[in-house]
Amino acid sequence: MDMFARAPYRPEEAEKTADTGYSYWRCTLRIFSKNKVGMFFFVLIVTLLTFTFIQPYLPAQKQALLIYNDDAGKVLRNVSPNDEFWFGTNSIGQDLWSMVWAGTRTSLLIGFAVAVIEALIGITAGVLWGYVRRLDFAFTELYNIVDNIPQTLVLILISYIMRPGVKTIIIALSITGWLLTARFIRNQVVILRDRDYNLASRCLGTPTRRIIMRNLMPYLVSVVAMRMAMAIPLAVSNEVFVTYIGLGLPLSTPSLGNLVNSGIDKIMQAGLRYQLIFPTMVLSLVTISFYIIGNAFADASDPKNHTE
Amino acid sequence: MNKPILSIKNLNVAFNLRGQRLHAIRDVYLDVAPGESLAIVGESGSGKSVLCKSLIGLLDANGTIESGEILYNGRDLTRLKNEKEWLSIRGREIAMVMQDPMTSLNPLMTVGRQIAEAVGLHQGKTGPQARQAAVEYLADVGIDEPERRFKQYPHEFSGGMRQRVVIAIAIACRPKILICDEPTTALDVTVQAQILRLIKDMKAKYGLTTIYVTHDLGVVANVADRIAVMYAGDFVETGLCDEIFYDPRHPYTWALLSSLPQLGVKGHDLYTIEGTPPNLFQPVRGDAFAPRSHYALNIDFEERPPCFAVSETHMARTWLMDPQAPKIQPPEHIRSLRERRGEI
Amino acid sequence: MTSEAAPLLEIRNLVVEFGRRGKKTRAIDNVSFIVNKGETFGIVGESGSGKTTIGRSIIRLNPTAGGDIIYKGKRINGGLSTAEDKQLTREIQMIFQDPMSSLNERAKVDYLVGEGLYNSGMQKEERRKLVMQSLRDVGLRTEFAGRFPHEFSGGQRQRIGIARCMVMQPELIVADEPISALDVSIRAQVLNLMSRLQRERGLTYIFISHDLSVMRFICDRIACLHKGVVVELADTETLYQNPVHPYTKALLSAIPEPDPDREKNKTLLTYNGNSRGYSKDKLIWSEIEPGHFVNGTAEELAGWVKESPPPSLRA
Repeated sequence: MDMFARAPYRPEEAEKTADTGYSYWRCTLRIFSKNKVGMFFFVLIVTLLTFTFIQPYLPAQKQALLIYNDDAGKVLRNVSPNDEFWFGTNSIGQDLWSMVWAGTRTSLLIGFAVAVIEALIGITAGVLWGYVRRLDFAFTELYNIVDNIPQTLVLILISYIMRPGVKTIIIALSITGWLLTARFIRNQVVILRDRDYNLASRCLGTPTRRIIMRNLMPYLVSVVAMRMAMAIPLAVSNEVFVTYIGLGLPLSTPSLGNLVNSGIDKIMQAGLRYQLIFPTMVLSLVTISFYIIGNAFADASDPKNHTE
Repeated sequence: MNKPILSIKNLNVAFNLRGQRLHAIRDVYLDVAPGESLAIVGESGSGKSVLCKSLIGLLDANGTIESGEILYNGRDLTRLKNEKEWLSIRGREIAMVMQDPMTSLNPLMTVGRQIAEAVGLHQGKTGPQARQAAVEYLADVGIDEPERRFKQYPHEFSGGMRQRVVIAIAIACRPKILICDEPTTALDVTVQAQILRLIKDMKAKYGLTTIYVTHDLGVVANVADRIAVMYAGDFVETGLCDEIFYDPRHPYTWALLSSLPQLGVKGHDLYTIEGTPPNLFQPVRGDAFAPRSHYALNIDFEERPPCFAVSETHMARTWLMDPQAPKIQPPEHIRSLRERRGEI
Repeated sequence: MTSEAAPLLEIRNLVVEFGRRGKKTRAIDNVSFIVNKGETFGIVGESGSGKTTIGRSIIRLNPTAGGDIIYKGKRINGGLSTAEDKQLTREIQMIFQDPMSSLNERAKVDYLVGEGLYNSGMQKEERRKLVMQSLRDVGLRTEFAGRFPHEFSGGQRQRIGIARCMVMQPELIVADEPISALDVSIRAQVLNLMSRLQRERGLTYIFISHDLSVMRFICDRIACLHKGVVVELADTETLYQNPVHPYTKALLSAIPEPDPDREKNKTLLTYNGNSRGYSKDKLIWSEIEPGHFVNGTAEELAGWVKESPPPSLRA
């Protein structure tokens, strides 16, 4: 072939564009998996969660609320951890190991329920607050008022008014939590709503509902994920607090709050300290893990970090 | 060229983007003479901003200078390792004006203070002396009532005014080289003309060497002594301003000149460069512009063209300059530009 | 050029204000012009002149404070029924300036281009066909439909924006600085595309820009806007060859010439509107020759016309 002959012009060659192979979710997962600390806690919490829920079905498990007697019929109170009772027993004679896991189940359930309710109400309110200008004033005033009421007061009030129970706690915790989520979402929406692509959608006649779902929601993932991840440990800690002041779940419903509460009395006696240590360890693990995972995911899902 | 003030040799810059390597600057050579006004012209994605950032040590975290040297006053800027070493160069020797004045200025500090800060850092003046110098610089860049404007914040200025402030800050550093990275792209055409004039005046007054980066060849005719045309991370043609406008040799330069609306004829379609620049994630084979060029030779798809000298000051990286290549005339309107030159 | 048919769009004494009660600024101050079917009407002005505001008022993104926008004989700036609104949404469309922010990054090209069609209750298959056709019409390959916007260059993204607009089969298109954010070498691609579509479909454009050098090729008539007021309106060639208002002259002198000899010896004209010290009521919108309008006081007009007499008035 004559190197110096004219080459024919091919228009398809000119128009070729590279498929960069970028996918938002794939990149998010990739960055998340490269965060070693985040991955460690993620694996940890998944293991913990799985174990928590399959624990009752494993062999050689004791029943949680059952009071155990020895062969002589005496109640096995305050037995230190041994081969039979892996975490020992508490002052009533219950197996601490199964109590801890039962308690974790309850507390996590409360935590997830609160996170989901907060997210649903918070996102709906936040989007309306940010997108519909006429509602902005009303919502901001509402926020300013409610924000000034200490959450603990509300918690105490509701727990006092309604009978203690899982439902009460869930309601009490969700009733104030959604507002902060709404504010974060509203701030994001205000930034996004006047961008050209949203104006273009309005020009095309796209109804508000679809603008919210397709134009705004995908950008809120980062914020929502972080808020939900924080809500869970916050709910669990709040449950512990409310139990501590006597307005929490009844003793018949095992929870981390109850366990920590009972264990606190024993802190001075060296031999009985294990009754505080075990539930606290699990509580700490749960709290730290969700906090770290939430942050790691929020960072990974932020498109500005996707250049790595 | 007698001793150049800045000399870039064999420069290769690459980015690590999502696990893939993007080869942004591909083996580039450039000399800048002291006191000259050089324009670097190229489309988005040609690498001109990356080149500027390499000259001033502001490459993004995922970018590396893989090989080559940037010689300034006997020092190799690619060897500067940390911020401390760059501080002696940045501002003081080489200053930069960027495209968006709003992000170049601190919105929380008055404009006067920002200039005074630069004066303090680079000229050692403080207090009232720095303030006085700052007011003088404000007047220098054409801002009316400099005493009053000194106390104002960036958001109180229009786009063109803000860019003047940015230029004042750059000049306050008393640099030897001023790099302007598309300073007028975000501005209106009237303001653009004024800012161009301002840069020319500042250059004359302070004896600067200016490097002006833009995608608009029309703008460059006013400003440049020499022009370097950049495509896909490489310089395809460099030469004096007159040489590039009246005797261009590379098909990309022809295409750039042809697509200027001022050269179009009403009633006919404007000339356009079809297609898009190549993807620099893949290695480039031959001449990067070949797939979009109507004048490509077979060899343009195989081997990278060497630099051919059209004159002492004019070089073109195209196989069309090779003695074995067929003699191809540039398109009609390019030749007519040469002919129209006679009539002023 | 007078048209026997009624104009497609008529703007009459339009006023647009921004701000709250007490602190209102007039972005558009008593602007009037007409746009004929099939022509390209240009609005040129600097930032802050209000040109984007006019465009957004026509497409009904901005409310107006006074005056009328009359489309096909009917007033459209306020009080429309849902059916009329839907019809208008289809007929008047907009092309946006910045290709980087005018596309939803998280949606695929086929959703983006077909977005407007979702409201007409069309079947999925028919919608898909129209989207593919629209992509082909703007010179993009149909396999691009499954990709996301970030994979495309500025010029291609702008073409996606045009495809999105064209799929609605509009009659009037407001193009708000459609090429300002593109490289000079890519601008021609988009301009040629717009011209071709206009010829094929009989479209009417309102082309808004700050760059006169480009408008010369695509616009039939141009209105020059300064601080919310139209200062001059004429056929394109008339405006270029015989501008009368000093602001128009200043805009024209700022156009960069790709000719080093000419550029380096050029004198730059400037216009300072603040140097006039009188109330606005004395401004007259005067037709100094057929189709060529200038805004000014009686003395000013006399002075300007004397300085640059239009061809028909030269002895």
